[in-house]
Amino acid sequence: MNDMNIEIHHVTRVEGHGNIYVNVKKGVVEKCEWQVPEAPRFFEAMVLGRQWNELHHVTSRICGICSIGHTLASLKATEAAMGITISDQDLKLRKLALHAENMQSHILHLGFLVLPDLLGAGSVIPLASSNPQEVKTVLRLHRLANEMSNLLCGRTTHPQRLIPGGFSKIPSIKELVALKKKMQAAIPDLQAVAKLIKSAAGKLPNFVRETEFIALSSPDEYALYDGQIASTDTGKAPVNEYLTFTNEYIVPRSTAKWTKHNRDSYMVGALARFNLNYDKFSPWTKQVADMFGLKPTCYNPFMNSIAQLVETVHSVEDSIRLINELENAGLKPQPDYFKPEIKVKAGRGVGAVEVPRGILFHDYTYNAKGVCTKANCVIPTNQNHANIDLDMKALVPTLLDKSQKEIELACEMLVRAYDPCISCSTHYTTVHFV
Amino acid sequence: MQKPRVAFFDFAGCEGDQLQVANLEEDILALLGQVDIVTFREVMKEHSDQYDIAFVEGSCTRLLDEDRLKQIRKNAKVVVALGSCAAIGGINCIRNYKDLEEVRRTVYGDQAKLFDTYAARPIDAVVKVDAYVYGCPINKEEFLQVVKSLLLGKKPDIPTYPVCVECKKNENVCAFERGQFCVGPVTRAGCDSCCVNEGTICWGCRGLVDNPNENSHKEVLIKYGLTVDDAIGKFKLYFGWQEAKR
Amino acid sequence: MNLISKDDFNDFVNALIKDESWNVIGVKAKGSKFAFGPLESASELRLDYDVTLLPPKKYFFPQRETLFTYNLAGGFSAKNPAETKPAVIIGVHPYDIVALFHMDEIFRETKSDPYYFKKRESSIIIGVNIQKMSKWNFSTYMGAATVDYGYDLMLTDLGNRYAISVGSKKGGDLLAKYAKNVSGAFARDIQLVGQKKREIFNMAQQKLDFPPELIPEMLKKTYEESGFWEEHSEKCLACGSCVLVCPTCYCFDVKEEMDLSLEQGERIRTWDGCLLEDFAKVASGENFRATRPTRYRHRYFKKGKYLFDKFGFISCVGCGRCSSNCLPDIANPVKLLNDMYRETSVTGAQMAATTPEVNIQTEGNIDYVPKLATIIKKVPMTANETLFELKLDDSTELGHKPGQFVEVSVFGIGEAPISLSSSPTKKESFEICVRKLGNVTTKLHMLQVGDKVGIRGPFGNGFDVNFLKGKNLLFVAGGLGIAPLRSLFNYVLDNRKHFGHVSLLYGCKEPRELLYKEEMMALKHRPDVEYRAAVNWCPDGEAWTGGIGVITTLIPQVSFDPQDVYAVICGPPVMYKYVIGDLKARNVPDDHIIVSLERRMKCGVGKCGHCQINEIYVCKDGPVFNYSKIKGIPEAL
Repeated sequence: MNDMNIEIHHVTRVEGHGNIYVNVKKGVVEKCEWQVPEAPRFFEAMVLGRQWNELHHVTSRICGICSIGHTLASLKATEAAMGITISDQDLKLRKLALHAENMQSHILHLGFLVLPDLLGAGSVIPLASSNPQEVKTVLRLHRLANEMSNLLCGRTTHPQRLIPGGFSKIPSIKELVALKKKMQAAIPDLQAVAKLIKSAAGKLPNFVRETEFIALSSPDEYALYDGQIASTDTGKAPVNEYLTFTNEYIVPRSTAKWTKHNRDSYMVGALARFNLNYDKFSPWTKQVADMFGLKPTCYNPFMNSIAQLVETVHSVEDSIRLINELENAGLKPQPDYFKPEIKVKAGRGVGAVEVPRGILFHDYTYNAKGVCTKANCVIPTNQNHANIDLDMKALVPTLLDKSQKEIELACEMLVRAYDPCISCSTHYTTVHFV
Repeated sequence: MQKPRVAFFDFAGCEGDQLQVANLEEDILALLGQVDIVTFREVMKEHSDQYDIAFVEGSCTRLLDEDRLKQIRKNAKVVVALGSCAAIGGINCIRNYKDLEEVRRTVYGDQAKLFDTYAARPIDAVVKVDAYVYGCPINKEEFLQVVKSLLLGKKPDIPTYPVCVECKKNENVCAFERGQFCVGPVTRAGCDSCCVNEGTICWGCRGLVDNPNENSHKEVLIKYGLTVDDAIGKFKLYFGWQEAKR
Repeated sequence: MNLISKDDFNDFVNALIKDESWNVIGVKAKGSKFAFGPLESASELRLDYDVTLLPPKKYFFPQRETLFTYNLAGGFSAKNPAETKPAVIIGVHPYDIVALFHMDEIFRETKSDPYYFKKRESSIIIGVNIQKMSKWNFSTYMGAATVDYGYDLMLTDLGNRYAISVGSKKGGDLLAKYAKNVSGAFARDIQLVGQKKREIFNMAQQKLDFPPELIPEMLKKTYEESGFWEEHSEKCLACGSCVLVCPTCYCFDVKEEMDLSLEQGERIRTWDGCLLEDFAKVASGENFRATRPTRYRHRYFKKGKYLFDKFGFISCVGCGRCSSNCLPDIANPVKLLNDMYRETSVTGAQMAATTPEVNIQTEGNIDYVPKLATIIKKVPMTANETLFELKLDDSTELGHKPGQFVEVSVFGIGEAPISLSSSPTKKESFEICVRKLGNVTTKLHMLQVGDKVGIRGPFGNGFDVNFLKGKNLLFVAGGLGIAPLRSLFNYVLDNRKHFGHVSLLYGCKEPRELLYKEEMMALKHRPDVEYRAAVNWCPDGEAWTGGIGVITTLIPQVSFDPQDVYAVICGPPVMYKYVIGDLKARNVPDDHIIVSLERRMKCGVGKCGHCQINEIYVCKDGPVFNYSKIKGIPEAL
């Protein structure tokens, strides 16, 4: 067996910058590390001193892909701090917004970032020539998800319509029904994508490592917008107690903090949600999971991508259900340029939301004037870094009989399976070294 | 004739502008008919150091970013600042007003370099930039217009007038008439007043126009009820670098 | 006059909407304000409104309009935009109706704008008398608060019913076809309508302190008061709001957009505003109205003086939109004009209200679609200037006059105004000298013989060759100014015996910037032409036998009888005052001096507003001007 030294700087086909280091000498793995050299963003410092009605605008800029999620978590924190409730109608519209984000992000991940590995291409670009119909199908679904975000939020990245207390503008029922029809018509496209991934799913490694999974959970539905924190190890807890779960700590050679709870690491994301909330899926959605033999509790991180596919199907189905509910109840119009009346007061609030990559926490403290005096954000990818590292440490020794190129590809595919959002994870303010 | 080779790079940003490029959907295929994308780390495994046009997203926030930026400038014929973080420093500049030492707190040892940071800045503070696509995020149509202009050999048509022009054309009710506070009158147009169209205000994400009448606008904000501190605070959201330069 | 109950009126509107052959538009609520928009039901109408955000001109002169689409594959083919359904616009206030009359005259003058008139002619205006007036409105002073014409139907709200005045056959027919239960009005209704109209005059909250007929003279006397204009414009944000919401503003910009195939594209026009910073900026970077006070002043002069001098009306209907939309509160004409009245009366200036002679002609339609022309010769003359010889593809003669210009299109890039450099005596083709400066000219330089461009024109007034026949001519050309002068100069040489003594003075920065070198060299040997050239400096090693110095150093070398010579001057903006100064010092009369000027030009026919120098349009009233006519015009030289 050869000695090998693997250094992958800035892993491709992931958001943000991450490095993989593997060093094997005489058949022994001497070093196997996941490092995050991404530039720190300092968002928790930037929001200090800013007004309650500005925070969501600033924190949306933590991420371009999960903007809707960050904005919603931010709004929930502010609303919790000031005791603001939103109407039932706005709740449904926010859930639709989150579905749109989940769909857009998962389809992008599956179609652009994961599929090339499964079909043996460097990127989606050569696939446009070799598999034009499939690429066009992915683009069609992606466009529909974006149209949905545009309709509900104004736009996918940095959504304008999401404001404290509700929406500045809502779609008409005519527009929602037209969207619903488009989603129904998109189901064949979804099935085609599922079949395509199934045909190539053999390439996904069969790797298993037991770990803890954490996600939101709710008795009423597959939790994305609301719920309690749930762990496969320790059960449920209110969102306000999130710090007892996250326990962020500094790691050398990583500008992002890592987290741990019951074990040395835990995993968040689609697979975590799938494992914790499988019973909330409809039979039709479960069929898609069955296509891949995916059942809880699955400990193969590579199946995170398949869990995303299942979630996409669920999002389409649940969106249709939500629009039907709005149709039946009748959509209550609101005036143009709507701005809910908010009574500003001091307080602290925590908002938790499931974004495509996992559970997201925003925690704000305001003074009586509505100025932010303290802020903390725990990003899903922060919570996955430790798990990625330990997975890699467990995976590499099983591949020592393969070529360097195959090991590199497997490590990259492992990172990609998590769909990490690295620039979001490097958002923090103070760094303490020991 | 060989199609121009295009590369995408990112620094300190949220990658939302590169997502807008992915959001071109079917237009990506039409775009690929005119250019070859040779580097796009977020989407492609392959990468090349031979490229003609470099799109750079994100601000420069560390000394070590400067070397990478200078190398990109050396490799490319044309460098385009993609998005407000790259073009004007973007929202990253909020922290330029804070004490950076306080923000870094205890940093020492050979790990200090990784936590190195300085005032967030647009990329033209470090290298020469040939074209700008403003916005947080960029507007897909404007991005395509800039690409087409580069392909046709003409200077992109980026407005020098404020957002009010587009807001009036779109027949919006002015934010000030609704009891809100907007920086549209000093912000560069080109977004088609998209945020006001969605029922809110202009936050200034495209940066100041070339000759803003800042004093007049701050007076307007105060006249309509904002405190002096809050009026100044509005200008700190996106204009941090541009104001410091003036 | 007729009557219709409000319920029957709603049914009438709903019947129109149901018919689907009309675009039914009406005043609706928008936030706390109002706007014209498409109606889905009569219940959306808010005829009790005070003012709309934008005037109804957006239906005749849209914010963005496609002039034509084109396809470059296999040559060039252009298509006009598809026709839209005719519009019924419900709820237009009298001041907006009067404003449309202003726009009609403006869009008809000299050449008619077919895009505007097609929509105007096919649409139906249902007006409504003012029920609520915005606090900024002063239409009662501008004679626009009530109107007896310009509408197809006019409604007056009488409580549970509308009085309808039929203003045209179109209006009467529409009512007959779609409305039920329309009866004749009773005497009491007619009296009530009269009362309602009178009440409007009590609604005005703005007060003009003087009769508006004095406005043109008052403005004329205040032009030079820079302190006044600086003070009033200090807070101007150059946001353009005042002009964009104005019902009588019509300036526009013309652009090109292509799709990703880079083969198909469209030429569009969009609203522009003279208050915006780069409105009067040309490709060289020179901005002919660079400061806020000058732009701020220009708006008042255009509406209160220049358009008045040309058309006889003050182009403001007092709707108050500009005032209500100006954030720093500096756009209210009433306030500014009252201030001005106080200042001018304080100085005791005598003011008389005058009505100008108005003579508006229309000769056909504007053509926005260019003709194709092929480059048949390309001769680089200097590092930055290239001579192009062009021939129209349809084999016709351009038929231009010396001194005119054409708008040259490079498809995908845009259009630029370039002077014709050849004499019309050269018939089968024409020449232009192009300096590489902006987008269009840079791309033009990359084209080759056989490539095609678009040509519109010729535009401009050109030199009056009949007036110049028999006279002694002194040509003074600075730098690129030789290009347009050459069109006249070569005409003169081709008709040499019709002209007296001819001199040409040509000045450049240095020898390598000389244009038409060979032709100029040949002039030295002609006995019937006096040719002198000078350069500012000559670098070492370059051959130069002419003079060294600025162009004015050549003037003393030419002998002429000032009463008997006509000077024709063209050059960079800074040159004119020095050359004219030297000529005047030798007693050349004002009306013996002829200049050719440049400005930013887009439409070429005096509509888009960019080339305006005070009241004159360079593209239409110029580019050739007799100095006696423009010496009093502050923005000219």
